[in-house]
Amino acid sequence: MFESIRASKNILGMNARNLTYIRPNNLKRAKRLADDKIRSKRLLKKAGVPVPRLIAQISSRRTLENFDWSILPPSFVIKPNKGLGGDGIIVIYGRKRGTDDVWIKSNGKTVTMEELKTHIGHILDGEYSLSSTPDIAFFEERLKLSKEFRPYAYRGIPDIRIIIYNKVPVMAMLRLPTKESGGKANLQQGGIGVGIDMARGTTTTAVQGKSKIIEYVPDTRLLLSGIKIPYWDEMLTLAIKAQDASGLGFLGADIAIDRDNGPVFLELNARPGLSIQVANMAGLKRRLERVEGLKIKSAIRGAAVGKSLFGGEIEDEVEGMSGKRVIGSVEEIKIIGKNDVKIKTTAKIDTGAYSTSIDKELAYALGFGHVTEGFEKIDLSQYDITPKNESQIKKDIIAKYKKSIPDLDDVAVVFASSGASVRPVVKIKFIMDNRTIITKVNIVDRSDMKYDIIIGKRNLSRFLVDVSK
Amino acid sequence: MDNISPLIQFFLDQGLNLDTIILLLLFPVVATIVVILRQIVGIKAFGIYTPSIITLAFVFIAKDNFWDIKYAIAIYAIVLFVGMAMRYVLKKLRLLYLPRVAINLTVVSFSVLLTLALAGYFGRTGFASTAIFPILVIIMLVEKFVTVQIEKGNRTAIILAIETLIIALIGYTVLSPTTFVGEYTISFTLAHPVALLLIIPINIFIGKWTGLRLNEYFRFHDVINKIK
Repeated sequence: MFESIRASKNILGMNARNLTYIRPNNLKRAKRLADDKIRSKRLLKKAGVPVPRLIAQISSRRTLENFDWSILPPSFVIKPNKGLGGDGIIVIYGRKRGTDDVWIKSNGKTVTMEELKTHIGHILDGEYSLSSTPDIAFFEERLKLSKEFRPYAYRGIPDIRIIIYNKVPVMAMLRLPTKESGGKANLQQGGIGVGIDMARGTTTTAVQGKSKIIEYVPDTRLLLSGIKIPYWDEMLTLAIKAQDASGLGFLGADIAIDRDNGPVFLELNARPGLSIQVANMAGLKRRLERVEGLKIKSAIRGAAVGKSLFGGEIEDEVEGMSGKRVIGSVEEIKIIGKNDVKIKTTAKIDTGAYSTSIDKELAYALGFGHVTEGFEKIDLSQYDITPKNESQIKKDIIAKYKKSIPDLDDVAVVFASSGASVRPVVKIKFIMDNRTIITKVNIVDRSDMKYDIIIGKRNLSRFLVDVSK
Repeated sequence: MDNISPLIQFFLDQGLNLDTIILLLLFPVVATIVVILRQIVGIKAFGIYTPSIITLAFVFIAKDNFWDIKYAIAIYAIVLFVGMAMRYVLKKLRLLYLPRVAINLTVVSFSVLLTLALAGYFGRTGFASTAIFPILVIIMLVEKFVTVQIEKGNRTAIILAIETLIIALIGYTVLSPTTFVGEYTISFTLAHPVALLLIIPINIFIGKWTGLRLNEYFRFHDVINKIK
């Protein structure tokens, strides 16, 4: 109970968002700019932030009547200038073949010029504008879905929402349009929000709508975690530049990726929603408090600060740097033996040993019982086990018994503190921390040991061992 | 009304109606109830004005008999249902916004009129004789409802309408002279009208409060569990 209350102090609620972050940081002038899409577009473009190209704007009924529709490219988007939550937007994929006044919408249905005119009329009347005041409609270039996101998006274009505060990116999510959201990427309308690890730009956990936690893209087996966001660093700096240019101290930056042009800045958001916290399974408030008062000189510096403050745990960073997984000194593993027998067990990670050994019992369970039995029949007393004779012994045994003992892959001569021994070697496969390793292991009696397998250096080249784990 | 403050007595002596005095004094209380439900509990409703005025309409409709509240709820439901259905009918006509809302209001008004007449026909004279101004106030909800419906969709509009109804019912319980709590509130107000000034510091406190709303504990339940 008390823990919950303490944990809830990390969460940014509506009251704190409005009073502590929006009110003092997003002044009216900046908010008005964010609500005016045409003006923000112009300003961002000037500041060197790429935006979708403005084709034409219609600000009165008269311009609508006189509008030359032939200047439009085959595909385009109609938007209300002061629209809210993606409403009133029509996406046109192309002209219907053989016509010049019928188009095909993103949902596959056709729309005539008359219908588009009526729709623009509604926009001009302010039907989609924030306060129902008269508005302007504009035509904009249609972004094309990049191939990285193709499998994940239903119809629309996914975008990346980044919360920027004090020139530091604090939290981000990938927003995916779904069937429920009608191809729009807004969470409120049933879109999916996928949390992003700030340091690596890789997705983590996901939420659909306001609070439904999901793992897969609905109706598919596509995992939502682990998606690598292309152009991640570039997007972080773009978002910071946009904050700088717009004067919005607390900004929700929406950036999409165009197939041809890479990252394109979609929208400035002066009142970013709070569900990003559910998508990331993390609280925004504590993060905002951590960047409060920092002096950030450049966009690149800001991005670096955000990445190092809000990236995954250090472990993840090490893994990212070295490409190695961090494991503990004891790990749960799955061994795959003969005829695909699978056995789960706990392994001791022993960096002091060179090779990997398994217990006789375990070898038996894995289907190598005949190997130990056959090997025990060999009279080993004829050999003088010293390092000098090692290769000689190996060669000799393999030559004599390879045929009579199937699955005997090799012979190991081990010199341990307890004395020297000759052991049979078989080939197995095991899975540790999601990585599959195919290796040779020697079989020995470990019945008086705690673990029935020790994994030696030879199989640890793709791991780092954290002894405290 | 055995204990009336001299201030109230003064108002009465000037010829003010007791109902008028009570409604005007309670309006700020209604507004504060809406504020508490919004900022601390998290019930959104249609802003502050709409739920406040609807609460008062409810209080007024059922000012003589507690169960008259069912008429208020019935009118509320009819107005919203017809208003919502009309939007679908009118959508096909592709009209400009204001004429469309006007047609919507017309149909809603006629429906309410018809309902009242039907109620009278079936002997529900209490329903049939409901006062007109509270009814008009409820009808005005249509514009608010349609606006939200356009901007945020049906679901949100219906949720907000239900939340508004909940707020109005809570307000009604606290303020109506026909409820136990309301009776107490009113006699207290009439005895100590100056105590109503407390509303201002209460609102200043809530206006500076940045804690999580009650519903946000539910909304972020999973996140909170993850963090702890």
